[in-house]
Amino acid sequence: MSLVLEARNLTRDYTVRRGMFSPDATVHALADVSFDLEAGKTLAIVGESGSGKSTLARLIAMIETPTSGMLRINGVDLINATKTQRKSLRRDVQIVFQNPYGSLNPRQTIGAALEEPLIVNTSMAPTERSQAVATMMARVGLRPEFRDRYPHMFSGGQRQRIAIARALMLRPKILVLDEPVSALDVSIRAQVLNLLAELQEEFGLAYLFISHDLSVVRHIADRVMVIYLGHAVETATREQLFTSPQHPYTKALLSATPVADPDAKKERIVLQGELPSPFDPPSGCSFHPRCPRAFDRCKVEAPPIELKQGRDVACWAVE
Amino acid sequence: MALLNIRNLSVSFSTRNGPFKAVDGIDLAVDRDDVLAIVGESGSGKSVAMLAVMGLLPWTATVTADLMEFNGLDLLTISDQQRRTIVRRDIAMIFQEPMTSLNPCFTVGFQIGETLKTHFGLDKKAQKKRSIELLEQVGITDPEKRLSAYPHQLSGGMSQRVMIAMALSSEPKLLIADEPTTALDVTIQAQILDLLLRLRHETGMGLVLITHDMGVVAETAQRVVVQYAGQQVEIQETRGLFRDPHHPYTAALLAALPERAAGRLLPSIPGVVPGQFDRLQGCQFAPRCTFAHPRCHAERPVRASNEEGRALCHTPLLHGHPYLWEGTR
Repeated sequence: MSLVLEARNLTRDYTVRRGMFSPDATVHALADVSFDLEAGKTLAIVGESGSGKSTLARLIAMIETPTSGMLRINGVDLINATKTQRKSLRRDVQIVFQNPYGSLNPRQTIGAALEEPLIVNTSMAPTERSQAVATMMARVGLRPEFRDRYPHMFSGGQRQRIAIARALMLRPKILVLDEPVSALDVSIRAQVLNLLAELQEEFGLAYLFISHDLSVVRHIADRVMVIYLGHAVETATREQLFTSPQHPYTKALLSATPVADPDAKKERIVLQGELPSPFDPPSGCSFHPRCPRAFDRCKVEAPPIELKQGRDVACWAVE
Repeated sequence: MALLNIRNLSVSFSTRNGPFKAVDGIDLAVDRDDVLAIVGESGSGKSVAMLAVMGLLPWTATVTADLMEFNGLDLLTISDQQRRTIVRRDIAMIFQEPMTSLNPCFTVGFQIGETLKTHFGLDKKAQKKRSIELLEQVGITDPEKRLSAYPHQLSGGMSQRVMIAMALSSEPKLLIADEPTTALDVTIQAQILDLLLRLRHETGMGLVLITHDMGVVAETAQRVVVQYAGQQVEIQETRGLFRDPHHPYTAALLAALPERAAGRLLPSIPGVVPGQFDRLQGCQFAPRCTFAHPRCHAERPVRASNEEGRALCHTPLLHGHPYLWEGTR
């Protein structure tokens, strides 16, 4: 299996001005996150809002640069890459956002939107480009006559198809999907998930699938990484994570996700309180104020990511 | 007698292109201490039906019904004055986005106090005392301090708790929650749903939960109404609905859930919901239905019996297979 993406100790800090009289504050949006991604596989990133999962998406898609750490795409180290290397890497990583209406230009026809990446990045002739657009539209299930229509004339599901088609125009190796189905209705969501599964098989794509919906993750992911307040707390295969979650936060997330089966009896772990402010993260393990299993050590010392129970987990309480 | 009783409710909006029927023939009844869920995709008219009950629709809307009663009061003929004083006290509603439901210019304490003044004519001191009680009831820590907070200082979950506190301030008999947890994270969603169920138990109020999340339905509701393209396609007890859905749409919707899928590909429903101007002559679901036959495209279906979930279908399903019921034979 070929690794297309390697991330080691990725960190991203933001400096925030807090008004005239207070000193600037630093927010650690992402701290020491490491993972690998293989071609044709899906890694799901799960976390609540404010956990840093979208920051991670922006780092991978090269919209932002990491403060420290190593990011290697297709074997090329991004930090030391030359300008031309970066440019070609940008073609290999594409991103699809949550709200397809916000990511499409309302004044651009669908045909033009799909053609644009080819104009910018390749030296294809106009007829070739036109052909490529038609092929891709057919592939994602858009009818040929849609070509001259504008984004507002489409439904949410179709717009997401357009966004996926545009991301695939340059034949990338990695597709970052930032909550791609959260804004869609159930019946449409199934269509888009099926399309993603087919495309992955056909093009051998690696997906970085960012979501807060565990039922979708369970369906699509090969590996899952759970992050909390910028820290990866557990990384495991799908089977491991859903059948025997180890980190208390993963357990709480799983138990809080509603299951569409009224007969399912399960133990509900309702977490107290909310995500702490990232300006003032708790000492030690960032999860300890809400953790049902926290003890003294958790308050002073942050647990490292270690191999326990066959997966990477950052918790003192896990044997 | 049921607290809220609706027979054949329809709402149509007059638009530039002629009337548009957003809600078409809905029957439902909610009792005290009852949890009814209304599920449907966007555009299925689930919110509009409840806004009609609240009298919150714009003037372009025409509401018709054979019966629309709340607590013995006829909501169709009620005067605006009565609606304000009686109905708005006994029915409360909370909305999807707690952030935009609160006025950003006033403190939480002022906004809760305002409702207390309107409904009960409490003075400042009593308002404050009751506000603190309410915030405590919805599980807000340090309620006295929170009273002087502005909405932007609160998180999403906290704002929704404040909205619930405001809704409870008038001691309603019925609470309508329109997608109360859609904008919230799962752990916060679990907290808010637990809170709503606990409050229903404590106060004995009826609860109508509008949602698109089948998981939320399964865990909270006693009965479920399924809506599609403005029509009520099925109504059933929650257990029965998940075990043996009678309308093909309900069955397809449940099958499309990722957690119920066996293989890599989900059994998705082809096509899209009919829009404003392509409502069909026959069954609205016919073009997307696996069991459709010529009659479905030509004739509007009639409701099946109670045992068949009052399914709006020519051939309701029984254990996943369509069969002809007496009326059509």
